[in-house]
Amino acid sequence: MSRTVNLPAKALLLCLFFVLFAGPLVVLILYAAAPGWQWPDLLPAQWSGQGAAFLTHRQADIARHLGFSVLYSLLTTALTLVLCLAPAHHFARHTFRGKTLLEGLLLAPALVPAMTFSMGIHYLFIRVGLADSLPGVVLALATFSYPYMLRALITGFQSFGPEYGQYAQHLGANWWIRLVRVELPLLVPAIIAGGSVVFLVAFSEYFLVFLIGGGVVPSYTGYLFPHLGDANRSVASLLTLLFLAVPVLLFVVVEISVTRAYRKRGMY
Amino acid sequence: MRPALHTILKLAPVLLPFLLLFAGGLALAVAQSLGWWLPFPHQGSAGDAYRQLLTPHMAASFLLSLRVGFVSAAASVALGTLLAVGLWRMPSRMQQMGVVYKIPLILPHIAVAFIVLVFFARSGVLSAAAYHAGLISGQEEFPSILFGGSGSGMIMAYVYKQTPFVILMAYASLKRLDPRMLETARMLGAGMGMQWRRVLLPHLAPVLHTSFIILFLHAFGAFEIPFMLGESRPAMPGIEAYSLYFQRDLSHRPAAMAILVCMFLFSLAFIVFYTRAARRFSVRGRPYAPAAAKGGPPSVHNAAPHIPLTERKL
Repeated sequence: MSRTVNLPAKALLLCLFFVLFAGPLVVLILYAAAPGWQWPDLLPAQWSGQGAAFLTHRQADIARHLGFSVLYSLLTTALTLVLCLAPAHHFARHTFRGKTLLEGLLLAPALVPAMTFSMGIHYLFIRVGLADSLPGVVLALATFSYPYMLRALITGFQSFGPEYGQYAQHLGANWWIRLVRVELPLLVPAIIAGGSVVFLVAFSEYFLVFLIGGGVVPSYTGYLFPHLGDANRSVASLLTLLFLAVPVLLFVVVEISVTRAYRKRGMY
Repeated sequence: MRPALHTILKLAPVLLPFLLLFAGGLALAVAQSLGWWLPFPHQGSAGDAYRQLLTPHMAASFLLSLRVGFVSAAASVALGTLLAVGLWRMPSRMQQMGVVYKIPLILPHIAVAFIVLVFFARSGVLSAAAYHAGLISGQEEFPSILFGGSGSGMIMAYVYKQTPFVILMAYASLKRLDPRMLETARMLGAGMGMQWRRVLLPHLAPVLHTSFIILFLHAFGAFEIPFMLGESRPAMPGIEAYSLYFQRDLSHRPAAMAILVCMFLFSLAFIVFYTRAARRFSVRGRPYAPAAAKGGPPSVHNAAPHIPLTERKL
């Protein structure tokens, strides 16, 4: 009974969720549609397509920066996945001396200020020729984002027992077939969870890409940044909304394709 | 294969980047802060850069970062916990719509800083609303929330960005809590406060402690939001290091590195001390040993006050 009594309060709370978390986007949309919106008007006095015209005018430039951001973020996600598979398996399946300490240490790069190691890395990368290059950016991003993937994969391996792999082994599957046919499909939820975080961290990073990429590697955050200080907030608002669209689109695509793949195999 | 060798081989894919890039980058930062391996000849002794940091200006900068980190992490954890419990108790249809809370998670920090500017600047949305409400008669009367020297602009940006993170963590943990625990507590006469203290908070404690550590350290040491919303006097330590490194001549590089090394060491110390304190606290305040929290031996009498309440409710 208490459920129905509290329903209005719960609906009100849901409204608060929308106001708090989606409300700012509404303001950004208003700015995007009305470049001339001025203080103290509560709503724009007139609408204009000027902001959108800027986007179409700079289409190629925006697409290039956005494309590079998506590229290095996806590469970072893939790299962290490849790096973390074997260690996650080991952490989930074996006990060894110093395990807790080592697990804690390996998670540290995500916690401590990224600036400290990245300034050092920058100098190192200049020496070995990795500065101002895409591989350098991917390596630097992976260095502090891999803990999210490692954590997710360890939990993923723990969510199913070692039996699946053992059965496959008894049936004569080598490690590669076990990995591709047995373990990776079971790890898909964990890979999506860890991968989304790594992608988001890489995609929204400004400082590290700016430092290691040196302005040579285009990035969407680097493109957006100078516009955030514009007196006219229209362009910055549009670019921010576009920023939001990319990961959302990507997550939807991943969700749909995974569901489809599962259905095909009859897993759901 | 020997087990130790097997472990090392299996962990090598992350151990190598960890040692080469993370530890290597740190080692270089430490070396340069001491005046070694610099791209130019360094005069002076090894501790010079650290001695340079002992100024009132740097102390103010450090205190500011502590305040911004603490206030934003504490506010985000408190707000996020309340909202997560609210979300958890909604009917499932409403819970699905509640995913809007994830929007700030996707937004990059620089965009969140921009949103704070749009809302809280003197020419911003709130200022216009205050004008129409008759609270102020001009932009200049709107309080300078953003650049008033207290770091409140940064704090608001972090709270907006970090609250969804706490909701995400706490909500996932609540999914593993049987709602009948709360119903049982209510039937046994526990009021709102008692349900929070005895059921919800003990269940959520580990997640909330982890969130607090992550959020505090991030607000303490990150670069982007202070870069956009920070003030110059005092500036956050990361910004101090940045301007010494990029905007001054090469001779300031050891000092810049020394700031970064201090930030790193402080973060390590914080993790160690906080986890220790949290563990001690959670052992003392364990849900079923309430008397131990007051220092006395556990006693059955602590449960006694609930009994009459239960009867009243029934």
